[in-house]
Parts: sequence; structure tokens; C-alpha cells
Amino acid sequence: MKNAIEISNLTKKYDKFELGRIDLKIPSGVIVGLIGENGAGKTTLIKSILNIINIDSGNIKIFDKDYKVDESVIKEDIGVVLDNMFFPEILYVKDINHIMKGVYKNWDSDIYFNYLKDFDIPLNKQIKTLSKGMRKKLEIVTALSHKPKLLILDEPTSGLDPVVRNEVLDIFLKFISDEEHTILLSTHITSDLEHIADSIIFIDKGKVVLDDIRDEIMENYGILKCDDKYFASIDKKDIISYKKNKYDYEILVKDISKISKKYKEAVIDKITLEELMVLMIKGEK
Amino acid sequence: MLGLIKKDLLMARGNLKVIITMLVVFTLVSINGNGNFSFIPAFISVMIMMSTFSYDEYNKTDAYISSFPKGRKNAVKSKYLTTLLVVFISIIITFLLSIAVGYAKNSINMEEVLSTTLGCGFAVIVIQSILYPLIYKFGVEKSRIGLFIGVFAITGIASIFLKTGADINIPQNIVNVLNNYYMIIVPITIILILFVSYEISKVVYLKKEL
Repeated sequence: MKNAIEISNLTKKYDKFELGRIDLKIPSGVIVGLIGENGAGKTTLIKSILNIINIDSGNIKIFDKDYKVDESVIKEDIGVVLDNMFFPEILYVKDINHIMKGVYKNWDSDIYFNYLKDFDIPLNKQIKTLSKGMRKKLEIVTALSHKPKLLILDEPTSGLDPVVRNEVLDIFLKFISDEEHTILLSTHITSDLEHIADSIIFIDKGKVVLDDIRDEIMENYGILKCDDKYFASIDKKDIISYKKNKYDYEILVKDISKISKKYKEAVIDKITLEELMVLMIKGEK
Repeated sequence: MLGLIKKDLLMARGNLKVIITMLVVFTLVSINGNGNFSFIPAFISVMIMMSTFSYDEYNKTDAYISSFPKGRKNAVKSKYLTTLLVVFISIIITFLLSIAVGYAKNSINMEEVLSTTLGCGFAVIVIQSILYPLIYKFGVEKSRIGLFIGVFAITGIASIFLKTGADINIPQNIVNVLNNYYMIIVPITIILILFVSYEISKVVYLKKEL
């Protein structure tokens, strides 16, 4: 399987934050979810891939091409939704069609207008008059209308109500159905990823702490719940992290089939991505 | 790049009402008194272009455009080309209004109208050539303050010279060359200034973290 994105030894240092070293391979034809708390480095990683910020070291390849040398060719095939970055709000929805026709060779006005119609986005309105959800939909529609092979989306579903969010997720699923299209999607709404992501990249404090297939994560990780006394008897090597509640402990464990055999009396619940994220970041170790 | 020029021109619609109102007021004032249109190219182009920079900065459109093919390079190029287009259009508007007012007042000096309008058009290109690298480096707000300080400083120095009656000695042969060849020298100088400004802006912007 070809890789849509290959990152090796990426580092980027700011005064109070450092991203890296990051090594990642994102294969074509999948949806990859990028998760992590605010300030973990998700947007910095996305901006690095898009060459919006200058990285300190490392190599990035997109579609097997160097992201700087072949930047303009590569970007013809990338659609982006960036968090709070879009066209000036005084522009009208219909203006975007005029502008983008002069930006992307493959811009397709029919696709753009059809999406607008499907999403009930009015043509003759200024961007600033649209609701937050409507504006987000417009950003997604704009990203899709030049028939990109790769979508890079930073918080694309934030501000959308559950119905529209589902519509958008369906579009993403349809987008990758031919196995040549790829989506890298950063989001706080981890439940979205449980529905659509093929794999998950979890970033914490600028480092990749987990990069695995979604089903593997959901099957391998679990939460072992027990009381104080039982907690004391658990082998510390089996504890990834834990949280002490008022009456019990929640312990993040890996390889749950092995763990459930080892601790037969304990209850091991399936984990959600949100619980995994919270326990990995905030749990005690 | 054509798309980005269109973007800036479409954004200029927001300034149209103010510009038209100003043009009407100054036309009426000129017909009834001693109006001067020479500042109009500067007024229109600085107003339009500064507002495009401000809106881009406010909406983080610069970063968004960077994700486009040749996004950064085209962003700079399109600003300079849009500026030239806006200055050109505003020179024509000023020229036509000056002629119209001249006919209305029954006094028209075509040579004077042409030279003052073109002179002011060129002057505004020089101002914007200085301003744009500063905007790309320091952002719109700081550059706007810099522009005001610069304009006040130049005006102040010029008025001091005029009041004190200071004599600036320019060698006669240079004056002769300027008088004879200003139609060639001025445009070439303007193009050179604009080109140097564009190259500086490009270098600054390509290195900038958005």
C-alpha cells in the first residue's frame, strides 16, 4: 500500500513547546484520526505538513514527493480545513467559486454548487452572516470542490450539530470509498473517530504516544475497575495509568485478553477513545 | 494567482460606498471652489489595499492561502499586481473627474491635470512599495502606525525646509537631465522601487511563520 504522507525525524521548537521527533506513515485510502489535548501539537503537525510553518528538521513526503520541492504539484491534490483560518468574512459564498477557479486547476464549480445545495448554504450571503456550523460546512465544501486526493482537516466537525456532523462524516466515508483518497483528521470529538477512522494517532506534549489501527486500540486497551485493596495487588507493570475515583480505581490496561486471565475477579470494560485520551494524559503513572 | 487578485478586488466592494461618497463630495467642492483631486489615487489605493491586508490578517487568510498551490508566492505577487491595477484605475478616475470639473468650470489645463494625477499615482506606488515589506514583516497595525509617523515626518521636514527657505543645491546638469528625461526616468525608477519592494516582501513572507 502506498503512503499518502511520510514523515521522518520531524522537529519544530518554540519557546515553550517542542514538537517531535515525529515519525509517521499515513497510507493511502484510509481515514486517520489525530487526537490530543489542546496545545499537544496537532495543529503544529498539520501546519508543518502543509508547509505553513518552517520545520527545524526532518523530511516530509506527500504522494511520494518532497513537500517543499514539489509543493505546488502536491497542493493541487490536497483539500484543507484549518481551525479558524478561512477567507475574509466580508466575502460572499458565491465569491469563493470565482476565487478558487483561479487557484486550483481542478476546481469544479458544479461540485461546489451541488454541495452548497445539499448543505442548504445560501449563495448570496456574506460569510460573516453564516452560523458557526454553516461556516464550517462551507469550509468543508470548499476543501472538497477541487477533487483532492488528500484531505487535511483540523477540527472539521466542531460547531456542527449531530445531524450535520453525521452528514459530514458520511461525505468523508464516501470520499475514501475508492481507496485512493486519504483523510487526516484532527478532532476533539473522539466519538466521530470511533465511527469513521481506520487508525488513530495520539499526540501528547509534542510526541506521538500512540499510532495504531483503531480496531486494535479498541480491542487491546481496556479499563480495569477495582477497589483500593485489589489495586494494591495489581502488578505495577500492568498499569499504563490510573485514576482514583471516590470509591474505586480506573486502571488503563493493555492486552486485555491476557489481563483478564491474570485478574479473573476484576471487571474490565471496553474503552472509548475519549477515556483512553483522558487516562493517558491525566492519569497517574 | 488570478484567484487571489479576484479575492482582493471582491473585498474592495466593501469600500465602494465610502469611495463614491468621497468622490462625489470632492467633485462638488471642486466645481464650487478650488478643489484638488491629486490625492485621490493615494486615498483609494491605500484604503482598499490596507483593508485587504487587515481582513486577511484578522481572518488568518494568509495561513489558509499558504495551503494553496504556490500559495505564499502568489499571495505576495497578487498584492502587488492588485495594487498596480487599483492605482491604474484610480488614476483614470481622477483624470476623468479632473477633466469633467475643468469643463464645468470652463478652465482646464490638460498638461497640469495629467502631470499631477500621474505624479500622485507614482508617489502612492512608492509609499506602498515602502509599506508592504513592513506589513509582511510586522503586520498591518504596526505598519499603519509606521506609515502615519513616516508621512508626518516627511511633511514636517518639508515644511521646515519651506519655512526656513533653505536652499537645496542640485547641480544644474542633473536638473537638466531630470527636466529632459523625466518621462523615462520616473517610470523606470518607480518600476525599480516596486521590484525591489516585491523581492523584499517575498523573502520576508516566505520565511514568515503563519
